Amino acid sequence: MKKSLKDFSQKKRMYGRMFILPWVIGFIIFFLIPVVQSLIFVFSKVSIGDTNFDTEFVGLANIRYIFFESAKYVDNLYDALISFSYSIPLVVALSLIVGVLLNQKFRGRIVFRSIFFLPVIIATGVVMTYIQGDATAEAMRSGSAEMSTNGIDVTAILQGMHLSKEITNFLVDFVNRIFDLFWDCGVQIVLFISGLQSIPEQLYEVCRVEGANKWEEFWYVTFPMLSGTTILVIVFTAIEVFTDASNTVMRQAYTAMQQQIYDQSAAMLWVYFALVGAILGLVILFLQKAVFSKWAT
Amino acid sequence: MLKKLFNGTLRPEESVLLRKNLTRGFVNFVRYFFLLALSYVVLFQLLYMISYSLRPESDMYNPSVVWIPSEITWHNFDVAIKALNYVDAGLVSLWLGQVSAMIEVFVCAVVAYGFARFEFGGKNFVFFLVLLTIMIPVQMLVVPTYLNYSHFDILGILNQFRQWTGIDLRPNIVDTAWTFYLPSFFGVGVRSGLFIFIYRKFFESLPRELEEAAYVDGAGPMRPFLSVILPSSGVVFLTVTIFSVIWHWNENYMAGMYMVDNKPLAVMLDTFSSAAKNVGGDSRNSRMAACLLFIAPVLVLYMFLQRKFVQSIDRVGIVG
Repeated sequence: MKKSLKDFSQKKRMYGRMFILPWVIGFIIFFLIPVVQSLIFVFSKVSIGDTNFDTEFVGLANIRYIFFESAKYVDNLYDALISFSYSIPLVVALSLIVGVLLNQKFRGRIVFRSIFFLPVIIATGVVMTYIQGDATAEAMRSGSAEMSTNGIDVTAILQGMHLSKEITNFLVDFVNRIFDLFWDCGVQIVLFISGLQSIPEQLYEVCRVEGANKWEEFWYVTFPMLSGTTILVIVFTAIEVFTDASNTVMRQAYTAMQQQIYDQSAAMLWVYFALVGAILGLVILFLQKAVFSKWAT
Repeated sequence: MLKKLFNGTLRPEESVLLRKNLTRGFVNFVRYFFLLALSYVVLFQLLYMISYSLRPESDMYNPSVVWIPSEITWHNFDVAIKALNYVDAGLVSLWLGQVSAMIEVFVCAVVAYGFARFEFGGKNFVFFLVLLTIMIPVQMLVVPTYLNYSHFDILGILNQFRQWTGIDLRPNIVDTAWTFYLPSFFGVGVRSGLFIFIYRKFFESLPRELEEAAYVDGAGPMRPFLSVILPSSGVVFLTVTIFSVIWHWNENYMAGMYMVDNKPLAVMLDTFSSAAKNVGGDSRNSRMAACLLFIAPVLVLYMFLQRKFVQSIDRVGIVG
């Protein structure tokens, strides 16, 4: 009896490996090998022949090039990181709010939910480029901000307040982006709703018995119970923003790729990725240690 | 009750009720206002596309035309269908993207089942690698991948063979559907990592008893998966399928790189402007018509599945 139990658990271990074996093979062929090759590109001079590519080790030359000789990389990197730093909190907050609202019982929520998923279908990279390009063109044609999404000439107001030009630009960009950002929220809202649904109803009952109000309910039950979903949403949003084709660094790297400068474009992307990854890692660590764990007790 | 409030004759229990009603009214107002405002952002864009795609180009310079076109014309759609090569490219999207989506939906479930139900050494590390595949963008991998596809080889075996015998058996799979089928088949297709994550969370929430019963009866590992897990996972399958279908339909980056002759719709849309110039007019109107034609199939599919999908989100339950 004992032997057969041991056999069974061994067998199950083998079954488990069997189930994920295809993935491991795929990971090596379609992920690990390209990743390593693209890392090699960063430290090499790449020349593409008809049949193959040759790499020649050049150390940090590519990285030195993009930082000190490339015309715009540092500026682009700065722009991308700035837009990154406000896009993510805004998208996460907006989709959390919408998720909570849509999760409540009220008349017409099915209709609203259907509408709020539409951005996932419509806001594909390509369609979005056409839409946004058009909105800008329209605003310029009519000579006013009439067709732009916010409709108020924020620039004039801010200039009237005698703020420095950088702050003005930042704020204008910020307001304009809020509406654009909503287009990036589709999947996140879905993730939040399904996270909200998995919170056991008993916790809310306890709250009601204890006499907590809705606000306390949100901060003491909903928010901590969503910690896992929130981290997933942050990571997902980060990737979306990070790989967005309209992103300045992405655009520069893509242009370089089209000119077949693979080594420098790889260096641009990897430096960018390493920076974003490091920031993201710190943010998640901070959230786990300082914010979410507070409620865990 | 309000009258009593102004007269100052409101009894205490009535005032509590009044406050409750007012709060509820206020919350409802804020909720609907907020949701309607955001719905407007989405629907505005859809109406904008429809309105612009139906009007002649001359309406652009007619200040009296805001939403309703002066005359309805199908000219823009004609241009868009020609420039997109709509039927052929649509078919490519189907056999390239959607077949790959179906493979992905099934394979990711199998892999996720392995993570959800079995214990083995290094499981957590391997799952970390799964999450890593979501985090590294395809843009970083696309060039080496392209070069590998042009001499496709599994773990260098065929290359060894070439060095020994001088015969190059490595196939060139660029511009074939294998560039999409193969990654999907091995569970590393378009955003497969996210799907494995979603499946795993769902499978872990299912009770184990039925599978255990199957094992006691002496079934192999595939049996419980096929006859117990699959039938009870309709909701999560629907969610993953919808995402996978949409993301495959919209995928234009990799397809633009790997496909030369058979370009799917998303790639055709990307290069629409230059194609439209050749067939009689690249205008905002024809661009909007092209966008509409592009999203139409997915939109129609979504309309049919939307009620089920919206309900299924409730039951998938992703817990961190």
